[in-house]
Amino acid sequence: MPKINQTIQTTPSFRVLSENQIEMIYSAALDVIQSTGARFHHEEALELFKNSEAVVTDGNLVRVPLSLVEKAIKCHPRKINLTGRTGKYKIKLEKDVVNFGTGSDLPFTYDRETGERRRTNYNDVVNAARIVDFLPNLDFFMSHGIVQDVPNPQVYDRHQFMAMLKGCTKPMVLTCVDGDGLKDLWKMASLFRGGEKEYRLEPLFVTYIEPISPLKNDKTAVEKLLFSAEKGIPCMYTPCPSSGATAPATMAGMLVQSLSETMMASVLTYLKNPGMPLIMGGVTTVLDMITTTYSYGAPELSLASAANTDISKWLGLPMFSTGGCTDSKVLDEQAAIESATSNFYAYLSGASLVHDVGYIDSGVNASLESLVMNDEIIGMIRQMGKGINTEDEYLALELIDKIGPGGEYLTSEHTLTHYKNWFQPRLQDRSDYETWVREGQKTMNDRIREETDRILKEHQPEPIDDKIQKELEQIIDAAEKRHSK
Amino acid sequence: MSEKLGKIADGLLHGKIDEVGELTQELINDGMDPEEILQKGLFAGMDVVGKKFRDCEMFIPEVLRSAKAMHAAMEKLRPVLSEESSSKAGTVIMVTVQGDLHDIGKNLAGMMMEGAGFNVIDMGIDRKTEDIVEMVKKEKPQILGLSALLTTTMPKMGEVINALKEAGIRDQVKVIVGGAPVTDDFAQEIGADAYAPNASIGTEKALELVKG
Ligand code: B1M
Repeated sequence: MPKINQTIQTTPSFRVLSENQIEMIYSAALDVIQSTGARFHHEEALELFKNSEAVVTDGNLVRVPLSLVEKAIKCHPRKINLTGRTGKYKIKLEKDVVNFGTGSDLPFTYDRETGERRRTNYNDVVNAARIVDFLPNLDFFMSHGIVQDVPNPQVYDRHQFMAMLKGCTKPMVLTCVDGDGLKDLWKMASLFRGGEKEYRLEPLFVTYIEPISPLKNDKTAVEKLLFSAEKGIPCMYTPCPSSGATAPATMAGMLVQSLSETMMASVLTYLKNPGMPLIMGGVTTVLDMITTTYSYGAPELSLASAANTDISKWLGLPMFSTGGCTDSKVLDEQAAIESATSNFYAYLSGASLVHDVGYIDSGVNASLESLVMNDEIIGMIRQMGKGINTEDEYLALELIDKIGPGGEYLTSEHTLTHYKNWFQPRLQDRSDYETWVREGQKTMNDRIREETDRILKEHQPEPIDDKIQKELEQIIDAAEKRHSK
Repeated sequence: MSEKLGKIADGLLHGKIDEVGELTQELINDGMDPEEILQKGLFAGMDVVGKKFRDCEMFIPEVLRSAKAMHAAMEKLRPVLSEESSSKAGTVIMVTVQGDLHDIGKNLAGMMMEGAGFNVIDMGIDRKTEDIVEMVKKEKPQILGLSALLTTTMPKMGEVINALKEAGIRDQVKVIVGGAPVTDDFAQEIGADAYAPNASIGTEKALELVKG
C-alpha cells in the first residue's frame, strides 16, 4: 500500500543563504541604488535615466527609486534557451539546471610542443573549441584564449568568434570590444538562423558585459547593454569585484554591492526596452593580500558565488557562476584541488552557467589539458548530484531476500541493469599495482595529455556551410575595412 | 627628539596615519634636520614594513595603512627637504593607457610607491598618449609608470614611449611598465626602462632607477 505524507528528496539539496538572508541582501541593494547610486559614462543612458523617475546629479551619478528598480527586475524572462550553430546542442538556462563551460580571453597559452608559455593565437582558440565540442561534460563554450594574431586588435572579437564557430557546435558566451563589435557578432550568429526575428527564437550566444566595481558603468559596457536590450540579445552583467579592494571585505557586503550593480543594469535596459533576457553573475572573489592576485582558486570565490546563485534563484534570473579554475601556474595537484572543489560547489548551488573551467594562472593562462581534466571532474560531480532513488526496485528488498546471507550479487540481473548507472571514469586509474606497472606507470597527467592529443587528432566538428562561411567572412572584412580608416 | 623618531618608525609599522603626520611636523618644528627625519624615522620604519611584508608577517591592508602614514609624513616633510633628498623621494606619474579601464594593479603599485616616499600623481585610466606626454612635460616626474591589462592596449605603452622620444623628453624620465599580459621581453621590445610583475617589484625598480 502506498504511503501518504511522504517527502522524497530525489537529489541532494543545498543552499548557502536562507530566504531571510536573501531578503536582507536584496533590501540593502535597493538602499544602495536609491541612496548611493551608480555612475554611468554614456550619454544615451543618462538621458534615459533623466527622462524616468531616476535622479541624475553630479553629471553622471544616477539614483533610482526602489519602485522603479522593483518594476524593472520583474521584467526579465525566467529562462533562456540557447542553441548551438547546428542545432544539435541545446541548453536551458533556468533555475537548478547546471551547464558547465570555459572562460574567455586568456592572453597566454602553454605551447603543447615546446612547453613554453607564449601568446595565444587563432589556432589555439580553434583547438580549444574542438576539445569543448568533443567533451561530453562541457555544455557551452567561451573562447578560452584570446586571438592575438589578427591585423587589427580592435576587431579581434569577430575573428575570435569565427575561430570558435569553426571548432565548436555548442552554445556560446561571447566577449566583445564594444557595441559595434556586438552588432557584428549578433549579425554573424543570425546567419545560422536565417534572420533577426528567427534568431531571437533560437539565440546561439549570451553577451558577456561587466560593470566596473564599485558602481561604475563605462561607455562600452553601456553600449553593449543598450544594444542587447534593443535586440533582445541574452546578456549577462557580471560584476568582477575583488573583495577588499573594489568591494567590501565581507562576503555579504560584496554581494550587496554586486546585486546593486546588476539591478542598475536591469533598470537601464528596462528604460530602453523592457524584457531583455538578463543573466545575473559575478566573479565574486578576493584579492590575495600577499600576492595581490585576483584569486581564481579561493574558497571565498565559491562561497560567494553559491550565495549569489541563491539570490539569483530567488529573483528568478539565470546565474553565471565560476568553477574549474585555479591560481596554479601548471596543471598540478593545486589545480586539481581548486578545480574540483569549485566545480562541486557551483554544481550544488544550481547555477545556470558555470564558466572559467580550464583557467590556470589566475585567469591569465590557457590549458587544453585542464579542460580534459575538468571534464572528468564534472562527470563525477554530476554523478554525486543524482541522489538516491528509494522506490521498491531500488530498495531491492526482494533481491536481498533472494540472494540471502552469504550469497553473491555479481551474476544477478539486478546488478546487470543497475551498475550501468554508475560513473565510469575515462581517465582515472583504478587498476591493481602490477597492471599499472605493466601499462607504463602512467600518471593522471600522462593520461590527460594522451587524451588531449587523441581528441585533437581525431575530433572534427561538423563544418560550416560554404555559403554561411562566405557571409561570415564578409562581415569580418567589412569590420576590418571600417577600422582601418 | 630621537625618541620621537622611534615613535615615527613604530607608528608607520602600525599604520597610525595621524600620529605619524603629527610627529613629523613636531620634529620639523623642533628643528631637526629633515634628512635625518627621512632616513632615521620614515625610511627606517618602512624598511621594517618591507621586511615584514616579505616574510609574510604583514599583509597588503597593513602595508597600505603604513604607506598612507608615510604619505601623511611626506606631505609635511617634502616642502623642507633639500633638492637632493627630495629627488630620492621623487615624483611618479601612474596611469593606465588609452582603451584600458583596469586600475586595481596600478593603484596598488602607486600606493606602495607612496610608501617608499614617492610623490605619486595618479592620472587615472583610459588616458590618451598625448595627455600622458603633456603631463610628463608639466610635472617633470622622475618615473612614469604605465599600466595595461589587455593585449589590445599593450601596444599603447610603446606608443607613449615613442611619443616621449618625439617630444624630446625620453631621457628625462624613466618608464616602468606593468600589467598581467606584459612581459620582460615586451618591456625591452618597446624600450621601457623596467618591467614590474607586481607592485613591490615596481617600487624596488623605481627606487633603483632614481638612485641611477
Ligand atoms: C610602475 O607601474 C606599474 C607597476 C606594476 C604594475 C602596474 C604598473 N600595473 C600592474 N602592475 C603589477 O602590479 C600589480 C599589483 O601587484 C599587478 O596588477 P594587476 O592588475 O595585474 O593585478 C591586480 C592587483 C589584480 N588583478 C586585477 O585586478 C585584474 C583581474 C582580472 C580578472 C580583470 C578584472 C578585475 C576586470 N576586468 Co578584465 N580582468 C582581467 C584580469 C585577469 C587577471 N588575472 O589579470 C583581464 C585582464 N581582463 C580581460 C578582459 C577580456 C576584459 N576585462 C575587462 C574589464 C574588467 C573589469 C572592469 C570588470 C575588471 C577591472 C576593474 C578595475 N577597476 O580594474 C574588459 C575590458 C575593459 C577595458 N576596456 O579595459 C574585458 C575586455 C572583458 C569584456 N569583454 O568586457 C582579460 C584580458 C584580455 C586581453 N585582451 O588581454 C583578462 C586577462 C581576464 C580574462 N582572462 O578574460 C601587476 O600586474
